[in-house]
Amino acid sequence: MLSSLVQKFIDQSPLSSNNDHRPSKAALFRDQFRLPAGQHPLHEITAELFLPLPSSAAAGPLTSGEKSRDSGNRYVGDLHLSEHFLCFSTIRTSFLPGASHTASIAFTGPTQGAGPGGNGFTLPLCSIRRVERLNSHHDKFSLALTTFESLQKALTDKTKASLPFPRKLVLTLDGSRLACERFCDGLKRGLREGMKEVDSLRTVVSQCFSEYLLDPARLKAREEGTKPPDPPDTGLGILFRYPGDARKLRDKSKIRLWGEYMRENGRNATIVRQPTFHKLIRVGLPNRLRGEIWEICSGSFYTRLRNPNLYEKTLAKFTGQESLAIDEIEKDLNRSLPEYPGFQSEEGIGRLRRVLTAYSWTNEEVGYCQAMNIVVAALLIYMSESQAFFTLGALCDRLLPGYYSKDMYGTLLDQRVFENLVERTMPVLWEHLVKSDVNLSVVSLPWFLSLYINSMPLVFAFRVLDVFFLEGPKVLFQVGLAILRINGEELLDVHDDGSFISVLKNYFSRLDESAHPHSENEKLRAITKFQELMVTAFKEFAGITHASIEELRAKHIDNVKAGLATFAKRTSIRNLGPESKKLSADDLSAIYDRFFSVLAERQKRAKLREEERRRQEQQKTRPGLWTHHSDRNHDEPARNIAPLQTMDYDAFREFLANTAKWALTDSPTSVSKDLSKPVTSQRNRSHTLLQWGSGPQPADHDFMQRLYGKWDESHQGEMTLQQLVRGLARIKGTTDIMNSMSLFFELFDDDNTGKVDREGILRMSESLLFLSRRGFDGTITPSDFGNGMISPVSAADAKDGLQMSTNEKFLGSVSAFIRRCFEYADPDEVVESTSSKLQAATINEPAEEEDLLDLTETKSVSKQPASPKPAEHDPLSEVTPPGTAVKPTPILEGSRRSSSRAASHNLALDPSKPLHITLPTFRMVILADELLEQFFESFFPQSFHLSDSPNSSTVSLPSSTLSGNLTTFSNLGTPVKNLINGASNKTVIDVGRAGGVVEPGSRGLRGVLDNIVNDGMRMAAEMRKRMEETQREFERNAREQGHSRPYRDEEDDDDDDDDEKGAELGRRDQELLEGAEVASIKTEGSRSRAVSSATTETGTGPKKGEGGGGGGRDLG
Amino acid sequence: MADQSSAPKPSSSVKLVLLGEAAVGKSSLVLRFVNNDFQENKEPTIGAAFLTQKISLPSRIIKFEIWDTAGQERFASLAPMYYRNAQAALVVYDLTKPTSLIKARHWVAELQRQASPGIVIALVGNKLDLCAESSGDNDSAADSPADAEEGGAEPGEAEPTDNGDARKISTREAKSYAEEEGLLFFETSAKTGTNVADVFSAIANAIPETSLKGSRGAAGGGTQAALSGAANRADEARVNLADRAKQKSDNCAC
Repeated sequence: MLSSLVQKFIDQSPLSSNNDHRPSKAALFRDQFRLPAGQHPLHEITAELFLPLPSSAAAGPLTSGEKSRDSGNRYVGDLHLSEHFLCFSTIRTSFLPGASHTASIAFTGPTQGAGPGGNGFTLPLCSIRRVERLNSHHDKFSLALTTFESLQKALTDKTKASLPFPRKLVLTLDGSRLACERFCDGLKRGLREGMKEVDSLRTVVSQCFSEYLLDPARLKAREEGTKPPDPPDTGLGILFRYPGDARKLRDKSKIRLWGEYMRENGRNATIVRQPTFHKLIRVGLPNRLRGEIWEICSGSFYTRLRNPNLYEKTLAKFTGQESLAIDEIEKDLNRSLPEYPGFQSEEGIGRLRRVLTAYSWTNEEVGYCQAMNIVVAALLIYMSESQAFFTLGALCDRLLPGYYSKDMYGTLLDQRVFENLVERTMPVLWEHLVKSDVNLSVVSLPWFLSLYINSMPLVFAFRVLDVFFLEGPKVLFQVGLAILRINGEELLDVHDDGSFISVLKNYFSRLDESAHPHSENEKLRAITKFQELMVTAFKEFAGITHASIEELRAKHIDNVKAGLATFAKRTSIRNLGPESKKLSADDLSAIYDRFFSVLAERQKRAKLREEERRRQEQQKTRPGLWTHHSDRNHDEPARNIAPLQTMDYDAFREFLANTAKWALTDSPTSVSKDLSKPVTSQRNRSHTLLQWGSGPQPADHDFMQRLYGKWDESHQGEMTLQQLVRGLARIKGTTDIMNSMSLFFELFDDDNTGKVDREGILRMSESLLFLSRRGFDGTITPSDFGNGMISPVSAADAKDGLQMSTNEKFLGSVSAFIRRCFEYADPDEVVESTSSKLQAATINEPAEEEDLLDLTETKSVSKQPASPKPAEHDPLSEVTPPGTAVKPTPILEGSRRSSSRAASHNLALDPSKPLHITLPTFRMVILADELLEQFFESFFPQSFHLSDSPNSSTVSLPSSTLSGNLTTFSNLGTPVKNLINGASNKTVIDVGRAGGVVEPGSRGLRGVLDNIVNDGMRMAAEMRKRMEETQREFERNAREQGHSRPYRDEEDDDDDDDDEKGAELGRRDQELLEGAEVASIKTEGSRSRAVSSATTETGTGPKKGEGGGGGGRDLG
Repeated sequence: MADQSSAPKPSSSVKLVLLGEAAVGKSSLVLRFVNNDFQENKEPTIGAAFLTQKISLPSRIIKFEIWDTAGQERFASLAPMYYRNAQAALVVYDLTKPTSLIKARHWVAELQRQASPGIVIALVGNKLDLCAESSGDNDSAADSPADAEEGGAEPGEAEPTDNGDARKISTREAKSYAEEEGLLFFETSAKTGTNVADVFSAIANAIPETSLKGSRGAAGGGTQAALSGAANRADEARVNLADRAKQKSDNCAC
């Protein structure tokens, strides 16, 4: 239920809209008007834009719409209001499928689809200085907008009669009264907000060449021969000349035409697009205005307006830092348009370096991609650094999505789309290419990737760019198709890649030549190949629209992404190193998928959490206003974060939870407790839920931490896929029991000394219990009839009886494990007193003996008479009565010298006498027990489910696993609660009996689980208690100096205990409980951590211990 | 060209692709081979650059169609487009940069699995000029391909020395890897020209006759010793170098 809530939340989040390929309405809106992030279509209304003709200026200020009805241009279109912009376009907006504006067709410019095509404007609200409500007939709303520059002009140039009147834009809203009023209210509110940004506007505008061009001060200075104001930075071209011959390009007259246009239609922030605007762009922009128009068309102007100092701030923020991107940038700085003089100078290279570097910091997902250097170099010829920086952002984010990203999917996708278009529009050529096995992408890829800049001579490439920024990416396709069409004849004669390339190379080098050199018609002869290309591109391929491109992209994107994913996976798996070869290809593939899906999911959830946090913050700071568009304040362009490639510990836990049953938490719905780690800021419950998403929730246990610590070779919390695979390959790659024992041992060998100390032994046993607490999937069979092969999980339920007894027996094995470990442990080389020396000598003996056994007869060790009785003899007697289970006495029945036994036992518990076991000892102890042997032989390696597992369904259907768990635990629910609430007698009995008696259904299973955990805790507690007891004993002994047999007494006590079990049990339980409490309360150092992590698993540590104890008494 | 007219030899084209980490000198190797030139600043390769160069063997003329690919990691996904149908590959690493050999191994593995079967792969350690010993040996030979050939004829004998040597990858290490994988192996300097021509000659000789398609109607003039094993390649390479040196002056037009 909770998971479905989470799912719902995820579904509603903006992130999920990226999953299907339909962009949101807001995204379409922003694309249409090239608006920065954070803008939403708040209000929209059909409107008529009326632009009075300047010639009517003499008529004086406009007072009524009626009066000037015939002396101006009218456009019908959609008027949109966003948080910071008022936009108008005659082009039907793609996100309003129902709307149709036939009336505007006549005025529709040559552009179709996204981008600031059509006629209209994109006005930052802060640029509007006055809005007047006009008297209108027909019961319509008419507004007259006055923008800042016309006011400014009116103020400064009052004296000059020749200047045009203050420009006004008249908008007549076409809608119900209510709709109009609502729109006006919104506008009012927006205008008020917009006042705050006037300063930014002033800054940004002052850097525009148009401002300088039309500056009356400049004109005046020129007339008077005085020094004009400094022009703004218009790129390297002003220092190193602009490419091409300015006279041939007719740069002066173009500037003049633009000057005229902008005087009438506004400039930079307030320019209104009329048909002339599009025409002026088609004939090529004048050098010094080029950067500014690119900026406005691409929309980077508006992004800059929202955050004018981002470029400088970014540079300052990351000064002196290094990154891979910077290294890559450095390699290419000297080879970006090297033929342009500006880039043979420190000045030009410095600008290029700064822009590329700053951008790489703001967009980590892209960083730096070769070809960006060429594009930015081209931009810098016409733009200031800051302008180029924002324009690069517009390119990467909007105009060329995915072109420069890490996998370059956009590049590949558009190549596919381009091929598709060639096939569709030039089937003969396409067939020829296919037949001659010529790969079109080989030539076309660089066209798209570097926007024709290094394919065509610069002057022509910039002409393409002019249109590209206005009309969008479809221009790249149109030009590409036109190139192929024009060269079609020649290309049909070509049969290999090489000649294909050279035909086109040759064509590009002759773009300035006449297209019809032999024509009689002089006009025809004057047409250059480039002009022919442009005409072909935009006339013949006018049908290539933004919409048709988008459609083709949508068709191919899944394919392309899948291809890339396969490629990345194939490459990545191939390069995982020699150890990975131990795993099957299926396993590797499963690990790869799981690794990255866990990381991707986590990143997604982190993003959601971050958004949630921001939303809450915002609600706190500005309640009420604009709340329905909560991210409007994210003006700071969100830094694109590169996808994660490494796992931290939590991600690793999640991976394990998808891999091994034991890694699932026992309390999936509760807040996960990271007792051992500093709790990361979990602000509320929903955050915690999001922490693990809808997948299985992982446990947190010392064992998992150790596994992570071991595998994460860098020890920086960054586990790579390779490290993970290496770790898994070591466990699963060989089925050798020796190997799997050593791996386990190494996990606890903290300082690589080959020794595991007392603490480590306890932890080993805790880990064994942790790993086994969800059963063995049939990998372990206590008697001889099974061969240890896996039986499916589903079968486990049916075999409840068997499983329970297996668990019981395993518990016995673990308790025996502890005893034996302590018995055979070697003391550390501590020389304190003669007595301890003596003890050390005695204890070394048996350990050595066993070493020999271990080496010579590994397989038959369990049958050695010297080794303790295997658990199968009578597991219940050892396990169920809690008192006896952990009793140290039955360690060595008969075959050992009792004195040595007692001594070793006591020594084992003596905290002042450090001891350790070595790998051989560990192996011996394991092999001495059938169940533990099977545990390491089959269960341990097999518990990691990769491709082969029935468990693998958890990956594809995580929710099913979760619900499975929920079922288990809902069954458990009541009794566990009873336990927690102080244990009615009956429940207690249940728990206890579950150990020995088969209970029907889930209760039995629960009993097993509880029992295992209980007993494990009890055992650990008992060991600690005994350690403390012994310490006390030692202290007592120390006080009674000269005691001849210091340990004899104690041993006698033990023996007595054995004899009068029943009588002593009550007292023992009491002690045991105390021990448990002491152990769990203890805060000192790592020891308490082990216990508390064990208790965390059940969630009810001490109380359960109590229940278990009670159960034991009943049975006893 | 000139020598072609006297004895018309069959001519076949060979598609060759260069792969390797960014800035190991792939483009420079090609530039040295094609134009006998070295440039400090070359525009980075976008996607791939295409160049051709002919090489004359005793029995035939090989026209190399060279695809010089972009080295940046993210362009790797484009590489299949370029090594598709390639008959030969130069996998280049930088002798002074250990990571570049790892990347080279990855490329070799990819080619062996994904490229056309029978592709001839040469492992090339570039920037030999930065390695102390070789620069000592070859000082006099620098810039002259004919001489360079003498100096660099036995790339295997160079062992790393410690004095002021930027070399990070020993010849032995790379060579044994190359032998293991059945690759041709050379250490070169695109800057001085050392061994560059040898690489291409060796590749030309190693291309199996069967995988050659005559480019200009030369219907497989099949008497070559092309089938001769790797042992003969070095010798043949040396013989052909004389041809190549001569050819160089004629070839500039290409």
